[in-house]
Amino acid sequence: MKDVAALLNAMRDAGVIADYALFGAAAQMRYTETVATLDADVLVAVPAPDRLDVLTPIYDFCRARGYEAEGEAVRVGAWPVQFLPVFDELTNAALAAAESVDFEGEPFRVVDAVHLAVIALATGRPKDFTRILALLDAGAVTREQVEAVAARHGLIDAWGRFQRRFCDDAG
Amino acid sequence: MTPADELFSRQAQWQRSRRSLSWPEKIREAERLRPSLEAFRQMRVERRVATDLQECRPPARSSEDD
Repeated sequence: MKDVAALLNAMRDAGVIADYALFGAAAQMRYTETVATLDADVLVAVPAPDRLDVLTPIYDFCRARGYEAEGEAVRVGAWPVQFLPVFDELTNAALAAAESVDFEGEPFRVVDAVHLAVIALATGRPKDFTRILALLDAGAVTREQVEAVAARHGLIDAWGRFQRRFCDDAG
Repeated sequence: MTPADELFSRQAQWQRSRRSLSWPEKIREAERLRPSLEAFRQMRVERRVATDLQECRPPARSSEDD
């Protein structure tokens, strides 16, 4: 994963991407116990987001460094890395609020706990709901924090449904 | 507490204790889990293909058909 961080930092320094942040299961593990996952998901902001081939410069940069595409990901050491360009206000906000974390001496931008939870709420698959519950159980976020960010991004109904389904005291 | 409850309780406690590992350690744990996860997914795919093939197969002839 250190190689992933180094590659992303180099990509940003070269201007191929404006910013990045790891999210998904690999980011969740900052707060919770280990979870089984096959890939690393990375949000990226690109300098020209309106291009049709928005990921091509990223793939070219990786290939030039010996990291080949593998399906919808690029294999970096042990990790298939999936690049997801920011696509809405929520993912933009998650990127803006991302934290810089030390990963074995390499700085690594990572989406914070509350945005991880709200992105999971927006995605809404069973494994995303599990992520929210794990973050709450670990004390990484409070329900109030999730509610505040969910409300800002039009997800207050989804948050209400989540609480009614999974939180004992929410009726 | 039944033996099963005790077992689940110990398992949950152990799982929670894994949170105190550093993030890089947890990432390395996830890397070690990957081959098992990949094997499990592959098994699921193969089982699904086998089921699909079975469902496409014409029904076996019984002796009453003759």
